[in-house]
Amino acid sequence: MSLAPVQEEVTATGGDVAPDTPWITIVWNDPVNLMSYVTWVLQNHFRYSREKSEKLMMDVHTQGRAVVANGTREAMEADTEALHGYGLWATFQKDE
Amino acid sequence: MARGFRRKGRGAHAHYVAQLDPLERATVAGLMDQVHDLLDPPAPAPEGDDFASIVAGLGMGVTVAAEDQADLDPDEARRDPALDRLLPTANRQDDEVAAEFRRLTETGLRQRKAAALQTAADLLRGDDKLRLDAGQARAVLTALTDVRLVLGERMGLRTDDDVEVLEAAAQDLDPDDPLGYALAVYDFLTWLQETLASAMLDG
Repeated sequence: MSLAPVQEEVTATGGDVAPDTPWITIVWNDPVNLMSYVTWVLQNHFRYSREKSEKLMMDVHTQGRAVVANGTREAMEADTEALHGYGLWATFQKDE
Repeated sequence: MARGFRRKGRGAHAHYVAQLDPLERATVAGLMDQVHDLLDPPAPAPEGDDFASIVAGLGMGVTVAAEDQADLDPDEARRDPALDRLLPTANRQDDEVAAEFRRLTETGLRQRKAAALQTAADLLRGDDKLRLDAGQARAVLTALTDVRLVLGERMGLRTDDDVEVLEAAAQDLDPDDPLGYALAVYDFLTWLQETLASAMLDG
């Protein structure tokens, strides 16, 4: 697994990341979680379309991580907590 | 011989059916119990059966006192690495932010995971023919994830490459090596979860 894509690539593939939303939630690749399961989690938690969920899942799988959401710090913390509940390897951080 | 999950019905009426034999059900339920106890440690140590002993040999029998888990000490070297897979660090740039997040979320996450594991284990102890409603299917799906995360950690799976290395090494394992059995169980759980995740994704 290649775990070090450059930041520019990550934000470029993250979907609806707007420049004025300072916090992001990232899902990191791991060797255990199934592609079908990660897709299901993204679809279920974020209510993303099947297509968008699969694209984000593939970004995680092929690039090591993907930005799956952006917004306020509180919202990103809530997303991260929920994703931990699903067993995904999620983090939140300032979008720098 | 197990039959994986299939969806019946759609929308609010969807349910998920599978068939497992008693040994398969007991094995999966037993592992769910162990991960439950890792998240919500019981007062007395659980009785060990043969499979529990094998898994304990992999380190899964480690007991972790609850009071050690919620402190703010950023030095988490003492922490069971399996717990770090179940409850990973939420911010890699700022240890204080990560510790604060853990302080606020860990107890709730442990309780919710433990409840889902309990629900799933109880369902598996029911009947060979499983029939899950949507809520039960979610509990089983996430419980299977948590068991696979812990088993994967015990087998040293940290990257995608580790999986291939382990599968290759398994060819040369002594038939009595508990790692071979653990890998077979892990593969079974992976297959079972794949059938359920796929059925739910289409539902």
